[in-house]
Amino acid sequence: MKPQFIIVAAVVVFAAIRLTLRQRGRRARAGAPSSSASSSASSSMSLEARRPSVLARLFGEVGLVAQREVRERIRGRVFQIGTIIILLVVVAAIVIPTLNKSKSQPDRVGVVGALSATLKSTLNQSVVSIGDTMTIVPEADTAAADADLRAGRVDIVIVDTKQLIVKAAPSAADVSTAAQLSRVFATTLGTIAAFQAAGLSAAQVDTLGSAKPLPVTSLQPSTTHRKPSPGSIVSLILVFIMLTQYSTWILTGVAEEKSSRVVEVLLAALRPAQLLAGKVLGIGLVALTQATLIVGVALGLSSAVGSNLLHGSGPLTVLAALLWLILGYGFYCWMYAAAGSTVERQEQIQSLAFPLSIPLTVGYIVSLITASTGRPTTFLKILAYLPPTAPFAMPTLVSLGSATWWQFAISVVLSIVSTFAVARLATSVYRRAILRTGRRVRIREVMSAKQTA
Amino acid sequence: MVADVVGLLEMRGLTRRYGPITALDGLTFSVQAGQVVGFLGPNGAGKTTTMRAIFGLTDLDAGEVRWNGATVDQPARRRFGYMPEERGLYPGMLVGEQVAYMGRLHGLDATKAVTATKMWLERLGVADRWASKVDVLSHGNQQRVQLAAALVHEPELIVLDEPLSGLDPGGIDDIGAVLVERASAGCCVVFSSHQLDLVEDLCESVTIIDHGKLVASGRVDDLATSGARRLVVRLDGDRDASWARGLAGVTVSEVTGGAVRLVLDESVDSDVVLRAAMAAGRVTEFSFARRRLSEVFREALA
Repeated sequence: MKPQFIIVAAVVVFAAIRLTLRQRGRRARAGAPSSSASSSASSSMSLEARRPSVLARLFGEVGLVAQREVRERIRGRVFQIGTIIILLVVVAAIVIPTLNKSKSQPDRVGVVGALSATLKSTLNQSVVSIGDTMTIVPEADTAAADADLRAGRVDIVIVDTKQLIVKAAPSAADVSTAAQLSRVFATTLGTIAAFQAAGLSAAQVDTLGSAKPLPVTSLQPSTTHRKPSPGSIVSLILVFIMLTQYSTWILTGVAEEKSSRVVEVLLAALRPAQLLAGKVLGIGLVALTQATLIVGVALGLSSAVGSNLLHGSGPLTVLAALLWLILGYGFYCWMYAAAGSTVERQEQIQSLAFPLSIPLTVGYIVSLITASTGRPTTFLKILAYLPPTAPFAMPTLVSLGSATWWQFAISVVLSIVSTFAVARLATSVYRRAILRTGRRVRIREVMSAKQTA
Repeated sequence: MVADVVGLLEMRGLTRRYGPITALDGLTFSVQAGQVVGFLGPNGAGKTTTMRAIFGLTDLDAGEVRWNGATVDQPARRRFGYMPEERGLYPGMLVGEQVAYMGRLHGLDATKAVTATKMWLERLGVADRWASKVDVLSHGNQQRVQLAAALVHEPELIVLDEPLSGLDPGGIDDIGAVLVERASAGCCVVFSSHQLDLVEDLCESVTIIDHGKLVASGRVDDLATSGARRLVVRLDGDRDASWARGLAGVTVSEVTGGAVRLVLDESVDSDVVLRAAMAAGRVTEFSFARRRLSEVFREALA
């Protein structure tokens, strides 16, 4: 199933690049802006000039706007501190579970005296039943075994198949390796001893020792749900934080330009659509940079410490989250920009931010609950196809293995199509509202202005 | 005169209605490059709306703006410079970067934008504020930065909305000098003001509007010397100019600081006025004066 996901993601990226290039080509034919130059000035002031402005060359005026946005945002304290905090959280989320987890090394069982092959394989099976493996460490005598146990070189000691020694007496609720080992070993060894005392042959003891529980058939088909992966929960939280952060930047950025009247000067040189596209592109690039950094650190660190993020659905979850962060940003940024253009004063931003954040929050919470219970509900499955909530719901389905590649693809296509529709609508609202001052612009006015203006 | 003109800004029948209010009512006038033109009128006359129309910042119900004979479009506007009344700068952005950014948006390459920014900030006396954020600057310095942002790309047409409001005399002189220098370099410089008499020294020509219509237009010299004659008469101890009020064909236009400003009908002999003044007291001042722009405005509406 996995390769299909990757193919879908690659196709999306490829299509986006093709589209951008084609638009660029059209602009270039219409009359390209002058080329940028390399600088000769050497004062600190000309730093700006020396930096090759890739964005400006790629996208003309839109690139200039985006470039300013990237520079101002990356320089800002919000971005720098925010990135550091997120990275710390990610590092903690990856490293801490690997510390708690009984290292993937086998459990070390110290053995004083001989251990029959039958007993060895029976013990082995019981260790496998608690999800571990074991190695036998032969001990010379009880004193040496005690010393090894104290020093932590072995987890448990079996003395002549008659006695079990652990470092500290485990309580009933203890789930540490030593406690689990002592429980299963005590039962197994006791049972085997009873079989032997009953005078059974070695073969009979072997048969009884390797008894397997009966398979249980249920009348209702079993729903396949996986163990919730911490990776999917962390990436859900990050996607939510970043989507909220960057769409709020769009909202406040547009509103700031309008209320400070900078927009008057900018629109004397730019078309509204160029200014808007530049802002969306610039903040989007900042978001993508931050996300790439986080994913890079997460994957690199995971492979370094052997986290389970790289196993099972882990990498897929991360890639799906990254793709949906981009799609989610694409969808929401236009709505927030349109809303920002109707603001007259900065304090009106608050009253707009709340209703806009509702679909985002609903998608997030429903997905978070699903990710932690591991049971996708029908409601979540519906949300996974709605562009406002899909950025959370679809990656959750993917991480639970409950989405096929074509379901994923349908949701991606729906999101892209609706993003184009929202972008068109938002640009038209923005164009009409951004220069209106005096009071807050009502959406209905902006829509109906089409006929009268 | 028209022969060596390089730029011509034309407003043709600009009309803009906001609901029941008509901001611009078929406004038509033109402005030639190479001079500083004052765009005058009382508050609410439609000056800002006209200026916004030049930059496509307001939709027009009718009419068009033309530059050098062609309808103004986006590429043409990139060669214009605009300084709006409610200043437009990013509060948190560094001064130098902000001005350079405006230059880039108007088509300068990165190197040129930085060089021009340095030049203009120096010229306007705020070069040391390159790395300051805009919102820590004083009002006067913000205005200078704003002007630098409007001029950085060497625009052909410079439009400034109330550039002198709130400035101290030093600031008015500095900004005025830059505007005059730009005009003599061949630019078309248009600036608005609601204080009609303040700008007489600064501009060569004026266009005066009211209620979205043209009131008067022409060279300041022509407007000031045309119309009825004005006399300024000062009498020792006279405070209310009662001596002049009975004279036929003479209107008292104002009394300030002991001097009375009289408007004479064509038939009135100034000697008659002088004799009446001398009869009322000791005459310390008796001179003909130019017509003020505020008088041009008032008389055109009368």
